[in-house]
Amino acid sequence: MTENETSVVMLGPRDRLIGELYIEGNLRVSGTLEGQIEATGDVDVTEAATVKATVAGREVNVSGQVNGAVTASKKLVIGRSGSIVGDVRVPRLIMQDGASLSGNVSMGPKVAAEFAQAAAAEAAAAPVEVAAAAQSATDGETAQEKSKPKKR
Amino acid sequence: MDTQHAVADTAPVEANADGVESRRDGSNKITLGPGDSLEGKLTYNGHMTVQGQAQGEFRITGNFEVGSGATVKALVEGSNVTIKGDVEGMLTARDKLTLGKSAKLNGDVTVKRLQIEDGATFNGHIHMGSFEQSSGS
Repeated sequence: MTENETSVVMLGPRDRLIGELYIEGNLRVSGTLEGQIEATGDVDVTEAATVKATVAGREVNVSGQVNGAVTASKKLVIGRSGSIVGDVRVPRLIMQDGASLSGNVSMGPKVAAEFAQAAAAEAAAAPVEVAAAAQSATDGETAQEKSKPKKR
Repeated sequence: MDTQHAVADTAPVEANADGVESRRDGSNKITLGPGDSLEGKLTYNGHMTVQGQAQGEFRITGNFEVGSGATVKALVEGSNVTIKGDVEGMLTARDKLTLGKSAKLNGDVTVKRLQIEDGATFNGHIHMGSFEQSSGS
């Protein structure tokens, strides 16, 4: 509860996910992943992993193979054995010798500002929901109906 | 000004080329100091280090280095390319491109290996692996 209920999802070497995944927390992939993944926390793609997906996270570590666009709101680290084919959008990028990256790279303060703006917009939106929830607790059923359109 | 120096430096090497075979394969070196600037097209058999300003087209057989504080706006081709300053333009590293902490690079890059240190800024396209442009070298 104190950590805002973050979850950790791990996909082992023989696991496979095809589809769309959104997690409020961290993700660690060692298996196969296809589709779209977004994590509010960190994303780890280990050496054994094969990812054909757009990847979004706070801090993204790639030691395996990624085929798809990668965005990280904090930073992206591509390890020695890591390989990315796709466009990358990050405020900070660290690439170790031996790593491979093919695609378009956008980074720097401008991108960092964009992520900060998006985070601020989310933070601004969150208290409204909390307030609505608090209101619904006091007002009862009528407020519950009110909070529904606010969420849209 | 210092470009003349550099040329003067390398000239004797060529003059007594008989005795300095080892120096011919790559130990020639041009260094542009912090106050120096170069504008134009350069094809050079050796290494080059820029600490000042350089603009144009540089094809270097050896290593190309851009020091921190240096500004380069050019088409660059070299074996090992190390950047710690500001670079704008197309860049080809036949072997390895290294972006240091203070590096700022804007442009498209063709490299065999690439290393980026934390703090470096890069905007552009990365092409890794094969070389179409430098096949003649």
